[in-house]
Amino acid sequence: QITDVKLTSISDLRTLCREGKVKEAIELMDKEGVKADADCFCALFELCGKLKSLENAKRVHDFFLQSTWRGDLQLINKVIEMHGKCASMTDARRVFDHMADRSIDSWNLMINGYADNGLGDDGLQLFEQMREQGLKPDSRTFLALFSACGSADAVEEAFIHFDSMKTEYGISPELEHYLGILGVFGMCGHLNEAEEYIAKLPFEPTAVVWDALRDYARIHGDVDREDRAEELMVSLDPSKAVSNKIPTPPPKKRTAISMLDGKNRIIEYINPTLYKDDEKLKALAAMKDSGYVPDTRYVLHDIDQEAKEQALLYHSERLAIAYGLISTPARTPLRIIKNLRVCGDCHNAIKIMSKIVGRELIVRDNKRFHHFKDGKCSCGDYW
Amino acid sequence: AAAEFSRMRLSGVEPNHVTFVTLLSGCADSNISFGASIHGYARKLCFDTSNVMVGTALVAMYAKRGLVDVARLVFDDIKEKNSVSWNTMIDGYMRNGKVRDAVEVFDEMPERDAVSWTALIGGFVKRRRFEEALEWFREMQVSSVEPDYVTVIAVLAACADLGTVGLGLWMNRFIMNRKFKDNVKISNSLIDMYSRCGCIEFARQVFERMPNRTLVSWNSIIVGFAVNGHAEEALKFFNLMQREGFKPDGVSFTGALTACSHAGLVEEGLLLFENMKRVHGIRHRIEHYGCIVDLYSRAGRLEDALNVIEYMPMKPNEVVLGSLLAACRTHGDITLAERLMKYLSDLDPGGDSNYVLLANMYAAVGKWDGAGKVRKTMKALGIQKTPGFSSIEIDCNIHEFVAGDKSHVDKNCIYSMLELLSSELKASGYVPGNTLYEND
Amino acid sequence: SFATPEDAAAERRRRKRRLRIEPPLSSLHRNQQQQQQSPPPPQRNPNAPKLPDHVSALTGNRLNLHNKILTLIRENDLEEAALYTRHSIYSNCRPTIFTVNSVLNALLRQSKYSDLLSLHRFITQAGVAPNIITHNLVFQTYLDCRKPDTAMEHYKQLINDAPFSPSPTTYRILVKGLVDNNRLERALELKEEMSEKGLAPDPTVYHYLMAGCVRNSDVDKVFDLYEELKGKLGGFVEDGVVYGSLMKAYFLKGMEKEAMEIFEEAVGAGYFLKGIKKESMETFEEALAENSSVKMSAVAYNSVLDALSKNGKFDEALKLFDRMKKEHNPPRRLAVNLGTFNVIAEGYCAQGRFRDAIEVFRTMGDYRCSPDTLSFNVLIEQLCNNGMLGEAEALYGEMGEKGVNPDEFTFGLLMDTCFKENRPDDAAGYFRKMVDSKLRPNLAVYNRLVDGLVKVGKVDEAKSFFDLMVKKLKMDVPSYKFIMKALSESGKLDEVLNVVDTMLDDDGVEFNEEVQEFVKGELRKEGREDELAKLIEEKERQKAEAKAKEAEAAEAAKRSARAAVSSLLPSKLFGSKESTESGSAEANGSPTVGEASSTESSSSDSDAERIKDETSA
Repeated sequence: QITDVKLTSISDLRTLCREGKVKEAIELMDKEGVKADADCFCALFELCGKLKSLENAKRVHDFFLQSTWRGDLQLINKVIEMHGKCASMTDARRVFDHMADRSIDSWNLMINGYADNGLGDDGLQLFEQMREQGLKPDSRTFLALFSACGSADAVEEAFIHFDSMKTEYGISPELEHYLGILGVFGMCGHLNEAEEYIAKLPFEPTAVVWDALRDYARIHGDVDREDRAEELMVSLDPSKAVSNKIPTPPPKKRTAISMLDGKNRIIEYINPTLYKDDEKLKALAAMKDSGYVPDTRYVLHDIDQEAKEQALLYHSERLAIAYGLISTPARTPLRIIKNLRVCGDCHNAIKIMSKIVGRELIVRDNKRFHHFKDGKCSCGDYW
Repeated sequence: AAAEFSRMRLSGVEPNHVTFVTLLSGCADSNISFGASIHGYARKLCFDTSNVMVGTALVAMYAKRGLVDVARLVFDDIKEKNSVSWNTMIDGYMRNGKVRDAVEVFDEMPERDAVSWTALIGGFVKRRRFEEALEWFREMQVSSVEPDYVTVIAVLAACADLGTVGLGLWMNRFIMNRKFKDNVKISNSLIDMYSRCGCIEFARQVFERMPNRTLVSWNSIIVGFAVNGHAEEALKFFNLMQREGFKPDGVSFTGALTACSHAGLVEEGLLLFENMKRVHGIRHRIEHYGCIVDLYSRAGRLEDALNVIEYMPMKPNEVVLGSLLAACRTHGDITLAERLMKYLSDLDPGGDSNYVLLANMYAAVGKWDGAGKVRKTMKALGIQKTPGFSSIEIDCNIHEFVAGDKSHVDKNCIYSMLELLSSELKASGYVPGNTLYEND
Repeated sequence: SFATPEDAAAERRRRKRRLRIEPPLSSLHRNQQQQQQSPPPPQRNPNAPKLPDHVSALTGNRLNLHNKILTLIRENDLEEAALYTRHSIYSNCRPTIFTVNSVLNALLRQSKYSDLLSLHRFITQAGVAPNIITHNLVFQTYLDCRKPDTAMEHYKQLINDAPFSPSPTTYRILVKGLVDNNRLERALELKEEMSEKGLAPDPTVYHYLMAGCVRNSDVDKVFDLYEELKGKLGGFVEDGVVYGSLMKAYFLKGMEKEAMEIFEEAVGAGYFLKGIKKESMETFEEALAENSSVKMSAVAYNSVLDALSKNGKFDEALKLFDRMKKEHNPPRRLAVNLGTFNVIAEGYCAQGRFRDAIEVFRTMGDYRCSPDTLSFNVLIEQLCNNGMLGEAEALYGEMGEKGVNPDEFTFGLLMDTCFKENRPDDAAGYFRKMVDSKLRPNLAVYNRLVDGLVKVGKVDEAKSFFDLMVKKLKMDVPSYKFIMKALSESGKLDEVLNVVDTMLDDDGVEFNEEVQEFVKGELRKEGREDELAKLIEEKERQKAEAKAKEAEAAEAAKRSARAAVSSLLPSKLFGSKESTESGSAEANGSPTVGEASSTESSSSDSDAERIKDETSA
C-alpha cells in the first residue's frame, strides 16, 4: 500500500518536472516528503537555472543535499551550473569548494559561470589555480576561458591562452575557439580589431562568423559594420536574410575614405556666429559654461538648520517625483499629491523638470491642479 | 407623529413594535427627550430587549444624537441581536468618531455582511482616514465578501482623496463586471475620482458613456475640467448642460467661475456672476465671491479684488483673504500683503500658511529681517508650520515623503536622481529661488 | 615600460584592482573557513570610477530599449533617439552604455557634434560609466572639431582613471586626428606609448604618420618610419596601406634632387609600370605584383592612386583604376570606394578632361559608391572655374536626386558663377534657395549678392534681399552704406530714410557721425538733408516716450496699490461688519479640488439610510 503511494507520488513529481512546474514540485517534496530521483533533480536544476530563480534553486539544492544522490559528481556539476545561471557565484563557489573530487567539467562550469556573471577576473584566477594544481584543461576549458576574458576586458590574455592552448596543451583550435576569440573582441567593444581578426582567420569566414560580428556590431550600435556583416553573412547563407529591414540613412561624414583632405572650404561661406537669432543661444551657452552655482548662504541667511535642508533641493514634492521617475517607464505621466500649496521655487523647478524628463507631471496641491508639460504649467503660473 | 402617538395612547390602543420603530426613527431627527420617553415606555413593555427591531431603532436614535454610550447600553441589552443591530452599532461608533470601538464591535460580530464592511469602510472615509479605509477594503476582498455599490462609492471617494488612480482604475474594471455598473452615483463617483487624480480624459470618457446623467454628474465634470485647467472644456460643458435642460446650481457656477479665472476671462466671469443671481436666482455664496477675488487677482487687478472683498455682503473669511494675499505674492506687492496680514492674523490666529506666505515673500525680495520677524512672531504665537508632505502612487502602493525624507528604502537612488535633476535644471538655466518653506 | 602581452595583461589587472579595496573574491584558503556564511561582497573603492556595463546587462527591458533606439537610428530620427535615451535615464529602465554609444555613434555619423557632446555630458552627469567605445567616439568628435588639445586632455583622463586600457583603434583615431591637426610630434609620441602598452605595431598608424610626414615634406622620416615598421614586423609589411605614402616620399625626394633626369628616363618606357623613379617603381611593383602577398585594401589602393595621379603618372593611375574596378566584388572584396572616384575625377580635372571627370563621377553608383556633399562641391567648383556652369548645374541637380544636401559652399559657388556669366536672376535664385533651406550664408556672400544685383541695376531686388537678411544677419556699417548708396543713386531717397530707420533700430551697429554725414550728403542732392535730423529726432522721441510709458506704468501700478490699501484700512470691513452668513463661514472662498465631492453628499449618507430602511422593514 505504502509503496503504491510512493510510486504515484514520484510519477507525479516526474510529471511536474516535465511540465516545468518547479514550485509545485518543491511543494510536493516539502509537504508530501516525496523523494526525487536523479532524473528529477537533473530536471529541477535545469529548470531553476532557466527561470533564474535563486530562491527555488536553493530549496532544490537543500533537498539534494538530504538525498542519497548528494555525492553524484554529474549532479553536483549541475548544481554549480544552476547557481551560475541564477547569478549567485558565491553559492556556486561554495558547492565547488566543498567537492571531494572535481571533474574538469566542474572547473569549466565555474569559469563559465564567472564569465556569464561579469566576473571574468575571478574566472581567470580560477584557471590559474587549475594550472597550479597541475590539471590539464580541455578544449571546453578554453572556450570558458575566452568567455571569461571577454567578460573581463582581457584581450591580451585571451591571446596568451590561445597560444598556450596549441603549444602547451596540444589542442588545435576549432571554429568555436576562433569564435571565442572573436567574442573577446566583440564583448570588449574592439569591433575594428574583431573585423581585422576575421580577415586574418586561417580559413574562409563562414556565415556564422559574420553573424557573430553583426551581433556585436548591434550591441555596440555600429550600424555600418552591422550592415556590412549582415550583407556578408547573407551572401554566404541567403536563408539568413532579414526581411523588411530598414535601410540605414547615408552617413554625412566620410572623411576616412573621401581622399579630399583639406578641400573643404565651407568655412568661407558660413558664419554661424553672426546670426541674430543666435544671440539667445549664445547667452544660454555662456550661462552653461559659467556653471551656475546656487549661493545657499544668502538663501539660508537668518534661518535655522531645519529650514536649510528644505530650502533648495529636498522639498517633498521633488522627492516624490524623483521616486516616481525611478519606478516607472520613461515618458509615462506621474501624479503627485501634496497636502500644502506647491511653493514657487518648486513650481518653477517642476516646470523645467517636466521638459527635462519628458513627462507630464501632474501635481495636485491643496489648492488646485498643476499639469506640468513641456516646461509649461496648466495653471499659467498663477496659483 | 408625537401628537398622533399621544392620541393613540389615550385611546388605549397598545402600540406594537412597528409603531415604536417608526416613532423612534422620527425622534432621531428631531426630539431626543421625546425619544427617551418613548424608550422608557418601550422598556416597560420589554420591547427594547426582546424585540430586536425596536432595540436597533433605539441604538440608531441614540447614536445619531451623539449619545453613543447610551446606544451601547441599549445594544448590550438586546437579547437576540441580528446583523442589522450590529451594523447599526458599528455605524454609531463611526458616526461619533469612536473608530476603535467600531472596529472592536466589528471583530466581535458573529457574521459580517457587506453592510458591516461598508459601515466600517464608509466610516473611515468619513473620518478622512482614507488609507485605513482602503486597507479594510482589501481585507474585505480577502474575506471574499462581495462589495455593494455603497462600498464602491466609499472606496472611490478614498481613491479620489488619496489620488490613487491605480486602485481607481482597478475599481473601474471591477465595477464594469457588476450589475450596478450603470448606477448613476457610481459613475458620478468615478468622474470625481478621475478628475481628482488628474486623469480628466478618463473622467470625460466615463461621463460620455453614462446613459443617464444627473445635475451632480454635470457639476462633477465641469468642476473637474475647471480645476484641471481645461477652462474651455469646463465652460463648454456648462453651456451644454443648460442646453440639455439642466438648471445650474451654485456648484455649477463655482466650476464655471473657476474656469473663467483660469483662462483669464475676467469679463465673462463677471457676467456669469451677475447672471447667476439675476437670471438664475441663485444666491451668491462666499465661494462665489472667492472666485471673483481670484479672477481679479489673477488678472493683476488687486484693487478690484479688494473692492469685491469690501462690498461683499458677508464677512470675508481667511480663505478669501488668503487668496488675495497669494496674489500679492505673485504680483510682488509686499505693502498690501503686510496690511492684509494684520487682519488675517485676527481672523485666523492659528493659521500657519499665511505667515509662511509672507515670510517667503520677504525672502523673495531679500528682506531677511522681515522674514525673520515673521518667524519670530510665529514662534511667539506658538504657531507650528504644517509639515508638507507629498505622495505618489506606484503599483497601487502609496509612497509618502516629507522634506529631506531619508526613510525610504530607495533613498540612495532617489537622492542621486534628485542630484542629477538639479544639475540638469541648472544646465537649462533654472535659478533656485528664495523659498524658505515648503508651502507659501 | 613593458612590451609583451603578459605585461599588458598585468596592466589591465592593475587598473581593475584600483576599483576594489580588497583583492578579488578568491582563493583556495577559503576552504578553511567553510562555516562562514556568505563572504562580504568585495568592497568598492568609493573614489574609483565605475565599471561600465557588461554585455550581460543587455537583457529584458534594457534590451528592448536598445532595440527601440536602434530602430530610431535606422529611421534617422536622431533627435528622438537622443531624447528617448535621455528620458530613459529618468525611468525604471536606464539605458546601458551600449544604447548610449549607439546614439553617440549615429550622431557622429551625421556630424552632429554639439548634440553628441551634449549627450555625452549628460550621461556622464547621470553616472552611466563610459566604455572604450564611448571614449573613442569622443576622441573622434574632438578631433573632427579641430580640438586636439581637448582630445589629449581626455586621453590623459582615460589613461589615469579608466578601469580599462585604450584599444588599438583608440590610437588610430588619435594619431590620425593629431596628424590632421598638425600635431605630428605628439602623434609620433603616441605611437611610442602604444608600443609601451604592449600593443602590436599597427600599419594603419604608421600610414597616418607617414602621410603626415609627406605633407610636411619630411621624406627621411617617412623612410625611417617604414624601416621601423618593417623591422618590427619581421622584414616585410603585408598591409598595403603604407605603400602610397612611401611612393610619395620617393617622388618628393626625386623632385628635390634629379627630378628632370628621372622624368626623362620615364618617357619612352612602354611597359605599364615603367617610368616612375626607380625606388618608387620597386615599391609599386612590390605592392602590386599579381602574386604579391601584400594585401591592398581600397584605402591602400587609393593612396597609391593618389601618388601616381598627383605626380604626373595619370595614365598609370587610370590603368591601376581599371584593375581595381575589376577586382571590386562586393560585398566580399571592396577594392574601390568614394575616395577612388574622387582621386580619378580630380585627376581628370587636372588634365583639363572635365567631361571625363563628370563621366567617371557618375559611374560611381555602378560600384555601390555614393558621393557626398564635399565630392560634389570639389567637382562643381572645378566646372565653375572652367566655364562649365551648365554642367555644374546639372551636377547640382543630381545632388537632389541622390539625396545629398547642398551646403553654403555649393550655393555660394553657383551664385558667384552665375554673376560672372551674367545671369543675375539665377544668382539671386540660388541665394534665395540657400536661405530657404535654412542654411546660413555669411555677410560676405550677402555683400557679393547685392553688389552683383546693383551692378546690373536691380536695385529693387537688392533692397528686397536687404530686407530679408537684415532681420537675420548682423549687418555692418559698410553693408548699410552700400544699400543706401545704391538706393540714393536710383533716386529712392524715401527708401534711404527707410533704411536709416532700420539702422537706428539696430542695436548691433552704431549710427555714427560718418554715416550721418554720408546720409546727409546723399539727401542733399534733392535738398532733403533736414529730413534726417527730423527722423533722428522722431526716433529719439519715440524711444523716450516708450521709456516714459514704462516708468509711468510702474508708477501707476504702485499708486493704485497704495490707494487700494489706504482705502481698505479704515473701512468697516475687518472689524465691524457683522457676518451675514455665519453658516457659510466654513465654506471655502475659492474652489478647491475637493469641491466636486461635496456635491455628492447625498450618496455619503446612503449607507446610514439603508440601515434605517432595513430597520423599518
